[in-house]
Amino acid sequence: MTVQTERPPSGPVDVSKTDGGASDGPRPRAASRAGALIPYLLLLPAAAATVLLLGWPLVKDVLLSFQNLNMSQLIQHVTEWNGFENYRTVLTGADFWRVTLRSILFTAANVVLIMVLGTLVGLLLARLGRRMRVLLLFGLVLAWAMPVVAASTVYQWLFAQRFGVVNWVLDKLGWHSMADYSWTSSQMSTFFVVTLLVVWMSIPFVAINLYAATTTIPGELYEAAALDGAGAWRSFTTVTMPFLRPFLYATTFLEIIWVFKAFVQVFTINGGGPDRLTEILPVYAYVEGVGNQHYGMGAAIAVLTILILLGLTAYYLRIVLKQEEDEL
Amino acid sequence: MKRKLTAAIGIAGMMVSIAACGGDSGDDGGKAGADGYKGETLTVWVMDGSSPDPWQKELTAAFEKKTQAKVKFEVQQWNGIQQKLTTSLSEENPPDVFEIGNTQTPAYAKTGGLADLADLKSEIGGEWTESLNNSSVFEGKQYAAPWYFANRVVLYNKKIWADAGIKGTPKTRDEFYDVLKTIGEKTDAEPIYLPGQNWYHFVGLVVGEGGELVKKDGDTYVSNLDDPKVAAAMETYKKFQALSKAPKDKDEATPQQGEVFAKGDVGAFIGMGWEAGIAIEANPEIEKEIGYFTIPGAAADKPEGVFLGGSNLAVAAGSQKQDLAKEFLKLALSDKFEGRLAKLNGVIPNKESLQTSLKGNAAAEAAAPAAAGGGTTPLIAQWAAVENAPNPIKTYMTAVLGGKSPAEAAKQVEGEFNKRLAQQQ
Repeated sequence: MTVQTERPPSGPVDVSKTDGGASDGPRPRAASRAGALIPYLLLLPAAAATVLLLGWPLVKDVLLSFQNLNMSQLIQHVTEWNGFENYRTVLTGADFWRVTLRSILFTAANVVLIMVLGTLVGLLLARLGRRMRVLLLFGLVLAWAMPVVAASTVYQWLFAQRFGVVNWVLDKLGWHSMADYSWTSSQMSTFFVVTLLVVWMSIPFVAINLYAATTTIPGELYEAAALDGAGAWRSFTTVTMPFLRPFLYATTFLEIIWVFKAFVQVFTINGGGPDRLTEILPVYAYVEGVGNQHYGMGAAIAVLTILILLGLTAYYLRIVLKQEEDEL
Repeated sequence: MKRKLTAAIGIAGMMVSIAACGGDSGDDGGKAGADGYKGETLTVWVMDGSSPDPWQKELTAAFEKKTQAKVKFEVQQWNGIQQKLTTSLSEENPPDVFEIGNTQTPAYAKTGGLADLADLKSEIGGEWTESLNNSSVFEGKQYAAPWYFANRVVLYNKKIWADAGIKGTPKTRDEFYDVLKTIGEKTDAEPIYLPGQNWYHFVGLVVGEGGELVKKDGDTYVSNLDDPKVAAAMETYKKFQALSKAPKDKDEATPQQGEVFAKGDVGAFIGMGWEAGIAIEANPEIEKEIGYFTIPGAAADKPEGVFLGGSNLAVAAGSQKQDLAKEFLKLALSDKFEGRLAKLNGVIPNKESLQTSLKGNAAAEAAAPAAAGGGTTPLIAQWAAVENAPNPIKTYMTAVLGGKSPAEAAKQVEGEFNKRLAQQQ
């Protein structure tokens, strides 16, 4: 996005080579071949780690999704292929589609909240004085650094029905009907707690990212805008926004991916309950696969989850791919 | 230079240990008979709270003396145990011996993960109480050995009861209710701590009504929650639950009801005798205040129905130490250790002749009268799937407590319940 201008205009590689041959300088063939290998050798460890840690489980998951694998088969090490049976069962059931819709709505609500609040905090960071900024950054980093399970457990305690601080505070504030309120007994109140947790944990990343983006904006631009008579809003939309846009894209899509698979938060707070009403796709895959010990079925749901996530992030992937094309 | 030295030392060290191994195996080959198990370690999984420390220590010592082998006890939690057990049984090194809940045994017997214990049964199982051995037998074969059984009692706080001016313990369900009401009126205490999903107690109430949770429909089992008897049991549960401030969507283990009771402001709770231990650990002061009585039934002559919970001991089919595992079972289930467990934990032993060891244990004496009228969940291979979270029985209970009629709630969970009963295993 920012380096494009420094590159020569794109065109066939051989053409640019003959054009710019002088800068490269002629080299012996053998040395250049060895030299050409080096980048690949350097890439090898990362590629190997990716294949081993991400590729293999993915292949295994796809293989499992075509098997009838339950308690007996797992214990006796029997492989029973059953073709598309798992997919057929999942896709023809009402549960899967309900959970998919719920996951998408959950993701949308969370990502909007995260982006809006995160951006506001990021802009606040840019305007704060040195001392307050350090203090706020410190707080953000602490919230960010907290392990997810630890944070979920703390939220569980905060919102516990009998001994939770939240109910106690609400009661002290005069809201006595909340004294024994069960946050986990309805779908919406459970989602409320989960959303609070997810948003709280995600704001730091967006805020710090956006703050970093604002530091790249040269101050002269604001001066120039002010000279041209631009007010605060106008200088925000014409100066700040263009710089922030690529960062907003990237963080939004990262947040979509992260929120979509927010398994730990949802599962720890209420196990997808009450009555399976807060299960999102990863939790659904876990409950069906591991919980009910239908490992093949769980694998099929996981594969479908990946496909849906790919679909949701296709727009972003397209931008990235297009950019790379542009840069060539 | 230094690095080379380090490497050399490392290699030398390895050589020594290899040599040591060689020496060991040579010794093993040389000795025979009683010392044949020397150097082996048997892994035994027991559930949280089921076997007290002194029992484990004494048994380990006796086992080592008898076989020269060591025992490693690993304590497991009930929550998520099925997933953990399934995975472990599929691995190369499963636990050699493990405790398995009686309601879950048929499902695992069907998977082929449990070793056939026919010879053990004929050797030491002649006196096992038949009703307690039922869950260990699947399709005519002995897949586990009955270990201990237990049913719930009422644990109450004597001080709170005295404060409310109550003398003696109630003999009928209505008396029990009135007593709890009095406590609520005369003291600041919560009369009873009864969370909405103590489903073992609910199963007991269903047994007391003579109801069944499932019924047979052709070849498959389906939900029977819409039976009026089940509804009546749930109404009883609801009536008592209304006296409690406990969450309607949590079970007795989250938080541990013993720990809640330990704070000293709860009049009573329904639990296992050993849950008193949890309370005492949290607050030693409470020990002198804890009393026990049989859960009162509708009429004075017949106690409330109870869920006859229990555990069996099984040997993993994939264990490399089958013989050693059976040696362990013979010792653990011997009169000495079976009797000791019954005495320490106040649980029902697997033989009638050992019942005497319960004498003097207040919790066990309170539990005993109800045991005869106790029952279990259906002993079918399909049942284990029902207990996986989210357990539809728990969902049913929370729904009724949340205001739905039993019929509506039964309808709500019927789909999930039937799906689980029909699942391929």
